[in-house]
Amino acid sequence: MTLAKKQLAAGWLFLTPATILIFIMSFYPIVQAFITSFKSGKGVNIKFADPLTYNYQRMLQDVIFKTSMKNTFLYLIVEVPVMLILAILLAQLLNNKDLKFKGIFRTCIFLPCATSLVSYSLIFKSMFATQGLINTVLQNIGITHENINFLGTASTARAIIIIALIWRWTGYNMVFYLAGLQNIEYSVYEAAKIDGANGWKTFWYITVPLLKPTIVMTAIMSINGTLQLFDESVNLTSGGPANSTITMSHYIYNQAFGQGVGNLGYTSAMSFIVFIMVAILAFINLKVGDTRD
Amino acid sequence: MKRKLLSLMLVGTMAASMVACGSSADTTDNASKDAADGAATEAVQSDDENTLTVYAWDENFNIPALKAAEKDYQDVNPDFKLEIITQSQSSDVEQAVTLAAEAGDYSTLPDIVLFQDHYFQQYVTNYPDAWQDASDADCDWNGLGAEKLSYSTIDGKHYGFPVDAGTAIFAYRTDLLEQAGYTIDDVTGITWDEFDKIGKDVQAKTGKYLLCMDGSGNDLFYMMLQEEGVSQFKDGKPYIKDNETLVKVFEVVAQLAKDNVLYLANDWSDYTDQAIQGDMVAGVFNGNWIIPTMKQVSENSGKWEIVPAPTLTGKPGYASNGGSSLYITANCKKADLAKDFLAYTFGGRSADDGQSTTYDEALLNGGVIGTCAAAAESDVYQQGVDFFNGQPIYADIVEYTQNVATVEQSDYHYQARTHLGTALQNVLDNGYTTEQALEEAESNLKFDMGL
Repeated sequence: MTLAKKQLAAGWLFLTPATILIFIMSFYPIVQAFITSFKSGKGVNIKFADPLTYNYQRMLQDVIFKTSMKNTFLYLIVEVPVMLILAILLAQLLNNKDLKFKGIFRTCIFLPCATSLVSYSLIFKSMFATQGLINTVLQNIGITHENINFLGTASTARAIIIIALIWRWTGYNMVFYLAGLQNIEYSVYEAAKIDGANGWKTFWYITVPLLKPTIVMTAIMSINGTLQLFDESVNLTSGGPANSTITMSHYIYNQAFGQGVGNLGYTSAMSFIVFIMVAILAFINLKVGDTRD
Repeated sequence: MKRKLLSLMLVGTMAASMVACGSSADTTDNASKDAADGAATEAVQSDDENTLTVYAWDENFNIPALKAAEKDYQDVNPDFKLEIITQSQSSDVEQAVTLAAEAGDYSTLPDIVLFQDHYFQQYVTNYPDAWQDASDADCDWNGLGAEKLSYSTIDGKHYGFPVDAGTAIFAYRTDLLEQAGYTIDDVTGITWDEFDKIGKDVQAKTGKYLLCMDGSGNDLFYMMLQEEGVSQFKDGKPYIKDNETLVKVFEVVAQLAKDNVLYLANDWSDYTDQAIQGDMVAGVFNGNWIIPTMKQVSENSGKWEIVPAPTLTGKPGYASNGGSSLYITANCKKADLAKDFLAYTFGGRSADDGQSTTYDEALLNGGVIGTCAAAAESDVYQQGVDFFNGQPIYADIVEYTQNVATVEQSDYHYQARTHLGTALQNVLDNGYTTEQALEEAESNLKFDMGL
């Protein structure tokens, strides 16, 4: 064997275990789930549906699945831009050369990411409970006069999920922007200053274009994450009131494990639709953000 | 600077993982403590021929009952041991069965599981192989309560042994009623309209709600319908928008909520922790398993009394909600031992002499009220309860149990509950009319059922 061939063989040898594991643990279940998505019935009564696309047709008539889709996209449209803009502004502030105690501020903003999704949901839940901290504070400073049922009212419950998401994920995205900002030479800003650019102009014409790859990446990750949103919906509001905060993943979970025996064929079909949505959105995002020459 | 940030992040991660380790160490401590008590072990099966394993989920309720049964059966089989494997909630047991059945591998199941009654029928329909028929067990099935057994008997085969009756109680705070100018007699045998009026007075005088329920898992509809002897299902199909009784019940519930007589909690923990234990209510209506939750508020001891619930017509209302039974799984290789154990204890064979250690101690230690008629003769059942102002509530509840109507059950009980709960929210918050809301509930339920 030549040296090149030996190296090639060694490369494949090292790749093999991981490849086999991915095939068994990931690809095989995906194929199985795809097959299951053509079946209907529960438990031992599960069999291929007639017609085969029954589950996919059923989805079009499923009012609650549509509601969950609307909710998820509402979170997506409101939360992702707000969060990314906040993250980029914070990163810009914390990147200031003259700022003292940068490390402490950065850590504070990043810290929410160290809490588990379930714990922070539960903390938000108790804070916004009818007799919780927020209600007490609002009453004591005289803004409201009676307890507001934040999580029991559709509009406020949605708002709280969005606030919670922003709290949890802004710091995480900020770290990416900070890393991106470190790579921008200070001389570029200096040159802009000499040319008479003010703060906003430097931000808009220098920082944003140079951060573009990072922005695209964080946007894809956030969209992907939001479409699969689950913990907040389950733990904060249980999808309520009247399904007004339920997300797609939560509805899929409910259909599979929520109320007794699961409708696994239907849930597999719904999961594939979510998968396709993520793929399409990520593709659009890549195309829009792609400025490579 | 980069390095500083990195090191801070690392410190953060380490701190977080240390917290995580700390908490997991706690759980192991608890587990080993439990193991020392002989309660929890990792294995779901035991090699010892006199040991059975069982899944249960409530340390304050059904686990003391199982411990009582173990002690009881040791009278006939001194070597007998029951290994109780504690689950954190009832849905964990259901999911364990679902996972085992979907994987086609029942070896992950214990010998016996405690299972919620409303879920059992669909699990037999969908996973018939997961269960063992216990009809030939040596016990008197007729003495166990017909309504209760209607959940665990499928096609004439007995699968389950009843643990707790789900018989509903309506408990009132007599001191609060008094402040509003009423006595317990004023709320006995009344209609829901009269209840609404009293509720408004109580709210005005004391600021407390006369009724509360978990808004997302709303059991009121099922219980109020059962009082009238009606179900949400008819001949296996949803019976909602054309069901006059249901429409009336629905309107009553909506009116109570609008009048601030009914407090709708956001979820189960909001219901138990805030509404009941947070002392927001002057009345509780649910299965009698709610009593241990109410007793957590010890300063209200002696102020509660129970009566049959209001109805649409004013006749005394009897209903049942929840409750669970013990079932033998396909994985049990000691089926004869399991059947004999269950028949002797929860099947009521040990109560033949009028005294059942199982039922007496289950009641004393866990507040579990059984449906076994023979066991209810004992002194323990006849005693007055201080928390309820000395009222002999256990005997009263057993009497209520005899009056509960058997109504049509369905695999889709919980889906019906969810859709009706949603319908109520739609009327209260989203400006739906009753017809619109019930129409939508029925069509969503039909959709779930594939009709």
